[in-house]
Amino acid sequence: MKEKPVKGERRVFMTGNEVCAWAALAADADIMFGYPITPQTDIMQYWTRLAPKYGKKFLQTEDEISAGFTTLGAVIAGKRAFSATTGPGNVLFQEPMSMAEMMRIPVVLIIPMRGGPSTATVIYSQQEVTMTAFGGNGEGFRVVYSTAGHQDLYDYTIKAFNTAWKYRFPTFVLSDGYQGKMRESLTIYDPAERGIEMVKAEPMLGLPGIPGVDRPTRHLRNTYNTEEELYEVVMQIARDFEKAAPEIVEWQDFDTDSEMDVLILAHGVVSRAAQGALPLLKNEGIKAGHFRPITLRPMPEEQMRAAAARANRVVVVESAYGQFLKLVKETLYGMDKPIDAILRPGVGITAEEIVAEIKERR
Amino acid sequence: MAKETIALTPAMPKCWNPDSKPHKFCPGCGHGLTLKMLGQAIDELGIQDKVIFGCDIGCSLLSWDFFNVDSVQTHHGRTTPVITGIKRARPELIGIAYMGDGGGYAIGAQHLVNAATRNEKITAILINNTNYGMTGGQMAPTTLPGQITETTPFGRDPEDSGYPTMGPEMVAAIAREGAYVARGSMANLRQLKRFLKKALENQMEGNGFSFVEVLSSCPTNWRTNAEATWRFVEKDMAEHFPVGEFKVPGKKEEK
Amino acid sequence: MRIVEAFIGEYASGKSENAINRALELLRRNRQVTIVDLDTVEPFYTLRPLKKKLEQLGLRVIAWDPAETTGLGEAGSLINQQMIWALRNEGDIILDIGYGAHGARILNLVEGAQDDPDLRLLVVVNIARPMTASVEDIVQYVQGLGTVHGLINNSHLGNETTLDIIQDGAVMVTEAARILQLPVIYTAVAREFAHLIGPHDKAGNPVKIIELFMHEAYW
Repeated sequence: MKEKPVKGERRVFMTGNEVCAWAALAADADIMFGYPITPQTDIMQYWTRLAPKYGKKFLQTEDEISAGFTTLGAVIAGKRAFSATTGPGNVLFQEPMSMAEMMRIPVVLIIPMRGGPSTATVIYSQQEVTMTAFGGNGEGFRVVYSTAGHQDLYDYTIKAFNTAWKYRFPTFVLSDGYQGKMRESLTIYDPAERGIEMVKAEPMLGLPGIPGVDRPTRHLRNTYNTEEELYEVVMQIARDFEKAAPEIVEWQDFDTDSEMDVLILAHGVVSRAAQGALPLLKNEGIKAGHFRPITLRPMPEEQMRAAAARANRVVVVESAYGQFLKLVKETLYGMDKPIDAILRPGVGITAEEIVAEIKERR
Repeated sequence: MAKETIALTPAMPKCWNPDSKPHKFCPGCGHGLTLKMLGQAIDELGIQDKVIFGCDIGCSLLSWDFFNVDSVQTHHGRTTPVITGIKRARPELIGIAYMGDGGGYAIGAQHLVNAATRNEKITAILINNTNYGMTGGQMAPTTLPGQITETTPFGRDPEDSGYPTMGPEMVAAIAREGAYVARGSMANLRQLKRFLKKALENQMEGNGFSFVEVLSSCPTNWRTNAEATWRFVEKDMAEHFPVGEFKVPGKKEEK
Repeated sequence: MRIVEAFIGEYASGKSENAINRALELLRRNRQVTIVDLDTVEPFYTLRPLKKKLEQLGLRVIAWDPAETTGLGEAGSLINQQMIWALRNEGDIILDIGYGAHGARILNLVEGAQDDPDLRLLVVVNIARPMTASVEDIVQYVQGLGTVHGLINNSHLGNETTLDIIQDGAVMVTEAARILQLPVIYTAVAREFAHLIGPHDKAGNPVKIIELFMHEAYW
């Protein structure tokens, strides 16, 4: 038996991208395909340094389209395969992710978001929310985790593999350029020792025996050309997604149990600024709470609405020009609740800035 | 009586899927004949349980349930990377990427080029019928100069839209030792089967990338009767696209 | 006498409507009629979805049934054996031919089309279509099709059709036909224009009332 990359538990200090590579190893991923793009590249770099030692594989492809489709090929063949990308690379990834949605091919994609539109910055943003949750030609039958720190990156990268393989939806781990490069401490662990059992990666093709003789032949397709046939297929996926959603949704809330003047809604690393803002606002005499959806798709709707119901108003804070805001509006639809927003596309947000904005708009 | 029945039944390769026959390619289309030769090659090599057959978008997708071998239909141009991923994950399998000239030479050209330069140990088979059949006969990278298609209604003018892609010549130029590259034709089925078989054996031996382009017919979109179809494949196409082997790996046992 | 007619024309010129109406007209005369869908360029925008309905009306229809095309891909640009041997059917045969750069050469695929003495090719023209909007354009278009036997004025603007556009079409198509030395077979009008135009159009061509079917097709 191969040596386990992570044994027991240990406290470590790493960059966020390094964490992703370690988490994929701990989750017993078999192979990574990828194409270099900042700020994702060091996930690949760490993987290529670590992988051979544990019998893992890697292929640098000609572009992200190929990275996506080779990943799907490996999954179809029965391996726990994954990739990572960002920005314009995420755009190219939408084609293979759309095929994964239709054919129920489990796949994990890690996305340390960079600035956009276009090439923009390689630094930081939260501008890939809409594309990651709803990109491609389709209905957004995907799972999107938004992480807020290195422990999250480790925990949810491991969890993403199990979500993907259990429910068979493409699963994304959103990070961002800051998290990818910043260093902080976290606990890495062997999932098995925490009672986390990795869902087995079964081959969809290449099963034992002669097809059509010993067993039925597997013929996979994504082409349908009658409306009725497609409708059946899509509605089945929709029903499966709706059924899985309550089991998949995750969230965190802070000081939301009692009545609030203001509820701050933020996801990902911005949630940390929101958390930091709470004691500062308290000092100013403002009763504030914070709700953070960890899954942006599916959204923890009930929970967000319950928190919002206890606040006089809601403030959405994000490093994008309203992508998360749209999801919030959809979630809170029908509630008589003022929604304000602090939108900083491609720019970081501090706790002090949130406090200042909330005071000003009071 | 029984003997007569046998004589009247056309021989179907063992690895064909009888449930999807008769197949749905147009009468006179070269896909059916190519897939028959491929089926015979799979049978003769005894690899039905090891082959993963991937098909592209375009008329090649009509082969998605053609064989009793595990199969996956992909996106336009993306069969090469899907089969590459399968082969990288499970090297014991034999990956076939089946595509048209649009999938291989236009929208998926970067995949073909890079699979060839990396010497991916897969077998790519490309049908050259000088047009996009499924979308109704538009210009393909392989459309001959002067040929009328739906997007070259006055004939392809090379000054304007370039010359036909010479696929095997390109692949042979960029692939390294170990690659097998050939161009066959539906006009010479015995030779075509030999090429396809060698392309599979080359993968089985782990030598490198294998690529066979097949000169094939599309009477539906060419608007040709049987005689004119045959003339176009045998004469017009063969004049532009020389048939033969372009790269053959040195025999290993001779070392 | 056996009637074999092929309706040909530019994209969205009204070939299918005229073909269906002609087939039903013959059927009403108690003739045996087969209608054949030969549109391979946009095969999903043809009379395929109407197959069942037309069969119920008593026509023999040679076309792909949408259910038969499972897994055939986005367009399913395909010819089948029935189409190739269509001219061997007994009785009258109406062929609905798609548009395309090859014009009437699609008939090369149909066995016996080259020397069928009964086959007549009729060109459907709508002057509201930009590519056949002038006499010169119509002449040039028809000349590019190969041998044809007559023109049909099918000028209209859908829901915005006026009597003027029908009559303008009649004049233009008639002038084009004179240059081409071809007859104008008829001017097609929807039922609501029948009483406005009368039995003959402005240029003296017979008027034929057509019922509309294609809006029931999927697109």
